Amino acid sequence: MPSPPGFLPDDEPGGLLRAIVESSDDAIIGKALDGTIVSWNAAAERMYGYSAADAIGRSISLIIPEEHQREFRRILDEIRAGRRVPSHETVRRTRAGRLLTVSLTVSPILDVTGRILGASAIARDITESRRIHAAFDASEERYRSVVDSAVDAIIVIDHLGRVESLNVAATRLFGFSAAEVVGQNVNMLMPEPYRSEHDQYLKRHLSTGERHIIGIGREVTGRRKDGSTFPLQLSVGEMTIDGEKKFTGILHDLTERVRLETQLREQEALKRLGEMAAVVAHEVKNPLTGIRGAVQIIGGRLPAGSRDAEVIKEIVARIDALNELMKDLLLFARPPRPKIASIELQPIVLSAIELVRQDPTARGVGFAVTGTSAPVAADAELLKLILQNLLLNAVQAMKGSGGVRIELGSSGDCGTIAVVDSGPGILPEVREKLFTPFFTTKSRGTGLGLSTARRFMEAQNGSMALLCPDSGGTTVLLQLPLKAQP
Amino acid sequence: MALKSSDPRLLVLVVDDELLIRWALREVLEAKGYLVAEAVDATAARSAFVDGHPRPDAVVLDYHLPDSNDLQLLASIRHDAPSVPVIMMTAYSTAEMIEQALALGARHVVNKPFEVHQMADLVTEALPIH
Repeated sequence: MPSPPGFLPDDEPGGLLRAIVESSDDAIIGKALDGTIVSWNAAAERMYGYSAADAIGRSISLIIPEEHQREFRRILDEIRAGRRVPSHETVRRTRAGRLLTVSLTVSPILDVTGRILGASAIARDITESRRIHAAFDASEERYRSVVDSAVDAIIVIDHLGRVESLNVAATRLFGFSAAEVVGQNVNMLMPEPYRSEHDQYLKRHLSTGERHIIGIGREVTGRRKDGSTFPLQLSVGEMTIDGEKKFTGILHDLTERVRLETQLREQEALKRLGEMAAVVAHEVKNPLTGIRGAVQIIGGRLPAGSRDAEVIKEIVARIDALNELMKDLLLFARPPRPKIASIELQPIVLSAIELVRQDPTARGVGFAVTGTSAPVAADAELLKLILQNLLLNAVQAMKGSGGVRIELGSSGDCGTIAVVDSGPGILPEVREKLFTPFFTTKSRGTGLGLSTARRFMEAQNGSMALLCPDSGGTTVLLQLPLKAQP
Repeated sequence: MALKSSDPRLLVLVVDDELLIRWALREVLEAKGYLVAEAVDATAARSAFVDGHPRPDAVVLDYHLPDSNDLQLLASIRHDAPSVPVIMMTAYSTAEMIEQALALGARHVVNKPFEVHQMADLVTEALPIH
């Protein structure tokens, strides 16, 4: 019959097992089926603060906090049923009343006949490691939230260029979800030719250590999920984790800055152009007026219908064409100050259509107005001019036959007018230049129409955008504020 | 009635520094039976209204002259001879400028280039006798 302390057989050779138990860093406690402590090793003494003499003979509930008593009864039920309670995390109380987080394994102890004598409980104090873990998790979380709250995009890649992680700003900037990017080559976020070249850059850096961007930073171009590109400032840091090189890219979106810079440059240029225009207009129109008047009078003295009289007519026509160019230039350089009022879009659109219908080239074109919009804050006359210009463009693009749809609507605090034609659309290389003054695809045209229209829209606090849907044709989208801007 | 004792014809003063404009206007106005006087700048135009000259019955006046680039000249002619109609010509106008010129009493503001015969018709219209 095994005797206390514990269940170790008295004939155990050399007391080896006992020595092992005593030298363990884990608390090893033997208990009877009723929970009475029958053995208590040195580690248990250190851990719980009770000496073996204090503990043995008392109930194990000595070290079990009140709220864990039920759990302990369940463990005893398992043991009585002969089942082992695998390692799990629980809480025990020391003699001093301190609560310890322990990893506990309880196994039944059987005699040679298979009868259950009691249980052995092996407990490891994991309080400190739990605390460290929790602190680590908290700091990880804090770090993560710092990274995620960063305005700039942060992307970590490995030595092969694969994305390991990215922050919320990065997903926002590129329009991809994290899942779509993590594990993929970071070059998916670049347009050509950088996309194809990036792997080479990386390889070259890893083999030569040469730095072209790391620690320097530069302006590069990013590519969003929708294929659009945008300027960004990229700075790259290099680190080695577990012997492996990783790179952290911090990306600052420059779209707004570049847009403002461009806008400022354009405004400066337009201001100078406006100053020039008044001078040029006078210097050109004044002599034109004289030439036109004098030529007409001389022409009037020639026999009507004569060859010379015809030439005079041609001269006058050329002068008028020059004058039209001057007028377009002036309109662009010095747009009239808009007289903003609350206006209804529908009647303006209809009257613009009416004017365009009078153009003989528009005879084969159908016009349809759909949708409605709340009144917008705009200059009715300017808007009519813009629409006329856009409708004539559409008519010319469709070579005089097809349909133009004018869709009215609202989006946010804007009223919208979309002029949708069924023409051939606009080639991408042409698209970029369309708003450049004097750029034209027409054999006769000053190339000022669209840029002037856009200036007129901007003067009314509105905007003008060109869309080229895959379905073909061209859509010009005008937006105007619903309420007058302060 | 602004009839001259020596010559029954009405006198139109054309003020412009562009010789071809003056010549063309003289041609069409004379064809309509007017006498035409020319001034190349504001100084010459003003002197046409001082004593010793036949007083113009109408003025065709360019906005931009070598010695004038505002509505001062119009204002002074209107002040000195409020009954004399003035038609402004301009190569470049703003809505504000046109408004001011009309407020100062200009009959018309005509943009350059214009049809010379139409200008002659405007002068006829503006004069007291058709």
